[in-house]
Amino acid sequence: MRLDGVAKRYGIRLPWVVRDVSLEIRPGGLVRFEGRNGSGKSTLLRVIAGVSAPSRGMVTDRPVTGYVPERFPAALPFSARDYLGHIGRVHGMNPAELANRIEACLDRLGGWEFADVPLRTMSKGMCQKVAVAQALLPPSGLLVLDEAWTGLDVEARATLDRVIAERLADGGSVVFVDHDPARLDGMDAERWRIEEGRLKQVQPGGAAAAQPAAGDQADGAAVAAADGAAAKPAAGDAAAAGPADGAAGEPAAGKPAGGDAAAGDVADGVDPTGDEQAGNEAAGEAACTAGTGHEPGPADPDGTGAEPAAVLIEVAGYPAGAADPARLAGVRSASAASGRLEVRTEPAASDAVLRTLLGAGDSVHVLSVRPAPAEPGGDQ
Amino acid sequence: MIALTRYQVALLLRSHRWIPPAVLYVLGVIGLGDVRQPLGAGLAPALSWAALMLVPAVAWLTRSILTAEPAAARACVAAAGGAWQSQLAALIAAALVGLVFGLVGVVWEVINAGPVRAVGTNAIQAGQTVHTIGGGLLAGLICLLVASAIGALCNPPVVRRAGPGMLTTTAAVVLAVAWQESPANAALRTPVTGVRATPWPPGLPLVAAVALLAIGWTVSGFLAARRDG
Repeated sequence: MRLDGVAKRYGIRLPWVVRDVSLEIRPGGLVRFEGRNGSGKSTLLRVIAGVSAPSRGMVTDRPVTGYVPERFPAALPFSARDYLGHIGRVHGMNPAELANRIEACLDRLGGWEFADVPLRTMSKGMCQKVAVAQALLPPSGLLVLDEAWTGLDVEARATLDRVIAERLADGGSVVFVDHDPARLDGMDAERWRIEEGRLKQVQPGGAAAAQPAAGDQADGAAVAAADGAAAKPAAGDAAAAGPADGAAGEPAAGKPAGGDAAAGDVADGVDPTGDEQAGNEAAGEAACTAGTGHEPGPADPDGTGAEPAAVLIEVAGYPAGAADPARLAGVRSASAASGRLEVRTEPAASDAVLRTLLGAGDSVHVLSVRPAPAEPGGDQ
Repeated sequence: MIALTRYQVALLLRSHRWIPPAVLYVLGVIGLGDVRQPLGAGLAPALSWAALMLVPAVAWLTRSILTAEPAAARACVAAAGGAWQSQLAALIAAALVGLVFGLVGVVWEVINAGPVRAVGTNAIQAGQTVHTIGGGLLAGLICLLVASAIGALCNPPVVRRAGPGMLTTTAAVVLAVAWQESPANAALRTPVTGVRATPWPPGLPLVAAVALLAIGWTVSGFLAARRDG
């Protein structure tokens, strides 16, 4: 989609909020806007999402759009499922597909158990999950996130990061604003700063993406491969393997998920020691991205297919006082530099390590998870 | 558009915001029966009165739906279905619920007032009765359209603050009902409904009401996408 000379003000006598915005958002593009409070980030996002019409200029070729506001109010007289049903129908989704996707999206965000709870009675975090879920209902297109992570729990934030990686790999585009400068750092976003209503490019996108194994490309491919593996009925087995998350996994398991032909072979390779969360999430993801038909890529951190020697997890904001990551089970090495922590783990232990790292505090963000050689030095 | 309208109707019904206008309408049609004595007795004045009461009820219904949705929820729907489309859907939803009010009112009045009877013989005049009900339905439709236009023009996003919104809505409703030149008022003065005749040529109140509705909905939809946030 394109923005040509877009300007926005909320009244003829009011000042311009943003001006002269010309921007192309390509399929697979990740765009970040930065700026001070009140600089017009949210306004620009609303124009991009189609919530707000530009006062001047044109927005053309906008794909199917999901918008996540910063705060989603609980004051709607619906249950989560009913609300998502309405939004899905507005997107023109057919009823059978929609019911599956509602289950899958809620399940994946960890919101399945409150699908039938009225929104009125939900906490802020639960409401935010519903807000994210409604934006994820269309399987592709544009995702506009206005501090969407605010209020989400650790798992849901990590899931959202992974969903974004998947969408980008699928050719969807994502535009976001977040107060955390490290958000989605590993995904190589095109960065723009809004100053006095005008856009200034801070960093062009695709710098690291030019290398096939680096950054978001590898992430996307890796997650996509995991989806493919679980998209067959084997997803049921994978989900059932986890007693803790079994209940949450059930709704997605055994659904007719449109996996690709190669998925069966890959699914046979599911590591028997592979942990339950991988299965669960993969099952949810499979339903969430059903029909996209991924070929399993070479990057495959979950131990399906050609197993990598190790998995390299990069996180930011790991608190200094938290558990020493080098001592976690399955960790081969850990190193910290300039606020980032790199942890090299056994493939089978990667999910448990990832969860431990995320559990260390709200400040922790996953920058990347990718396959790597057993020893440092050969992966960059 | 159907999905958007369905969402807005569900929002209006499940938020229970339709109840106060419904109570107003019921009180107006049934409770204020004595007030309409100057209109005369019989089916035609009864239907005129029911149509007239639609104006405040539907204007209030429209205000209810236009203020029902929190801004963030509105934004999510607008991203999915378009900003002006979702505004239009809200206006259609209020009009549809208002249509149900109006039909219930007509049924009530027909049961209550009974068919048209010949003076003197007291024989039921079926043809005249059907004609009168038709006239009453048309008057009700005109009142509904005028009220919807008032609701659209006197509430967010056109008039954004609550106080001025409620005051202008009330003023416009009074004007629509009482002013002789308003299409809603003129609709009640046709030969069919039997109340004093109007200077308006036949058919013109409907045309005027449709034009008013088109203006109201267009302005409301246009501003919905521009005055958000």
